[in-house]
Amino acid sequence: MTDAAKTFVETYERERGSLPASGLVWLSARRDAAMKEFAASGLPHRRLEDWRYTDLARALEKASVVSAPLHKGDVALPDATAINVFGAVDRHVVVFVNGVMQTKISDLPSGVTVVSLSDALSADWAKTLVETRVSDAQAANVTALNLALMRGGLALHLAKGVKLDKPLHLIHLAGDDGASHRRNLVRLDDGAEAVIYESYVSAGATNYFDDVVTNVSLGAEARLTHIKVQDEAAGAVHLATLTAALAAKSYFSSFTMTLGSALSRNQTFVRFDGEGAQAHVNGATALRGRQHGDQFCIVDHAVPSCTSATLYRTVLDDASTGVFQGKVIVRPYAQKTDGRQMSNALLLSRDAAMNAKPELEIYADDVQCAHGSTIGELNREALFYLRSRGIDEQSARQLLISAFLDEAFETVPDDAAREGLRALAADWFRLALKEDA
Amino acid sequence: MLEIKNLHVKVGGKEILQGIDLTVNAGEVHAIMGPNGSGKSTLSYLLSGREGYEVTKGSVTYKGQDLLPLSVDQRAAAGVFLAFQYPIEIPGVTTMTFLKTALNSVRKARGEEELDAPRFLKLVREKAKPLNVADDMLKRALNVGFSGGEKKRAEILQMSLLEPTLAILDETDSGLDIDALKVVADGVNALRSPERAMIVITHYQRLLDYIVPDVVHVLSKGKIVRTGGKELAGELERTGYAEFAA
Repeated sequence: MTDAAKTFVETYERERGSLPASGLVWLSARRDAAMKEFAASGLPHRRLEDWRYTDLARALEKASVVSAPLHKGDVALPDATAINVFGAVDRHVVVFVNGVMQTKISDLPSGVTVVSLSDALSADWAKTLVETRVSDAQAANVTALNLALMRGGLALHLAKGVKLDKPLHLIHLAGDDGASHRRNLVRLDDGAEAVIYESYVSAGATNYFDDVVTNVSLGAEARLTHIKVQDEAAGAVHLATLTAALAAKSYFSSFTMTLGSALSRNQTFVRFDGEGAQAHVNGATALRGRQHGDQFCIVDHAVPSCTSATLYRTVLDDASTGVFQGKVIVRPYAQKTDGRQMSNALLLSRDAAMNAKPELEIYADDVQCAHGSTIGELNREALFYLRSRGIDEQSARQLLISAFLDEAFETVPDDAAREGLRALAADWFRLALKEDA
Repeated sequence: MLEIKNLHVKVGGKEILQGIDLTVNAGEVHAIMGPNGSGKSTLSYLLSGREGYEVTKGSVTYKGQDLLPLSVDQRAAAGVFLAFQYPIEIPGVTTMTFLKTALNSVRKARGEEELDAPRFLKLVREKAKPLNVADDMLKRALNVGFSGGEKKRAEILQMSLLEPTLAILDETDSGLDIDALKVVADGVNALRSPERAMIVITHYQRLLDYIVPDVVHVLSKGKIVRTGGKELAGELERTGYAEFAA
């Protein structure tokens, strides 16, 4: 077992009694079992196919993995683009420091519950969500770790037919070095609607492990739009697992913008439980230096007539590494499935590397599925053409890279947020220009 | 305006231009004709500053200045414009965004004030109208899905916005039917002025019926082998390039 894994086991032994809702018998039993499961296999290593390109165990050897303190003092909100990106939108804001919810929102409409994880755990809907198992055995291990050690996070519940009046913006701040395991639970009953924004940034921490599991469950015809921006500190390890279970005719759209941290992995598991549902899992990634970013996505068409679309755009500079692993599973009864998956990567440097593994696993015969992957560099002809019209080289490059990312931004079903993401990408270039100068 | 002396150029280790001498004065339109592989496109790319063209001998002087050390965008700012034979498709960049970025880059480099959105829009519409370039086309991604005629009209629109002093038109007639050719030629003719020089590169005489040159050169095997007046184009149309290719 690696040192980091040992630290997690020891942490559990030490903190077991002080974890939130430790009085709930079912939960303590689940935590015990989860830690046992984790301890049996340790952290995922590169000999596991699903972790072949991402060495989490190694990254955690360098990260601080003892528990981050439960921050109670005031932490000033940093002036970060990853937060301000949603600034133009009238929204509810909830701030978390080291995973712990700092604010309570008072002006919520009736039928809307926004509480911290620990306050939600005694509710049945929360219990059901917490017990979600991910379909992928090789990813289950890290969610077991999260289940054992989870402390903070958010629980959102919308009653039947309730529409959240404004987007809910979750600002996750890393205030101190260390590990923070948190769990977000989102349950939208039939016909409910919500928009959730998430920003992950550091407020002083430099060496930390953010381990976030988000469990989403959508009732029939419920609609959830989720837009996340991850711009963690350069020394951070960011591991985010998102599960979504979709009932009939529900709609789920998730967009992840990845800019920060030394190593990050977003793993998304979508499962269709009812017919006629739609899932859009998209993202844009821009990395530099020696950053590593992994987008892992499994969409499980377990029932007929559902639509899924996945598009990831990745821009890699310097010696950064990108990973796309996507799988669309179409089960035997899932006729009339429409499943699409695409990864496009742009390498800006000779030392950058992209690994892409798109997979289709189809057991039904009346389906439409397509997948693809491209890895390329900036089109020299296009650069020459733009420059021949007086546009200097840096601006021409920026124009082409923006255009490349823009096709991912076009999938964001929220105009204000889309503009914000474009501004964020422009910021990324400005930094690149400064460094080159 | 432009003075090329004994220019030798290698592409991929092979000498394509083998001693070009050419002088183009302000206000003149020169046609360069020649068979395929004679070096016409090499000359136009070299003048625009494209990578991969190695000058082994000779000089290019533009407005009294050595042109060769200037980068592609510096040349554009200095007034060199190449209308492409095959304009490049650029997905994700709208024609409008591209035009505005290009115009303001050039204006900035020339020490002129950059145009704000309303003033730019007014100018681009004014220039687009005679070229039959509709707003709809300006909103589309640059050259993506444009017909041959649309691409060439977009090239001339760029030229008319950037107001170059040396315009090089590389096979502008290729892929055009006669109606499209007339629109493009009218656009080019409207830009003829005493301050502006043009080099029209073409394989066929057809274009020169509409854009009438002052001087015609024949390029063969990397050298200018003959120079004459506009009647030379007609002569070539009758006799072909056989005598030069041999």
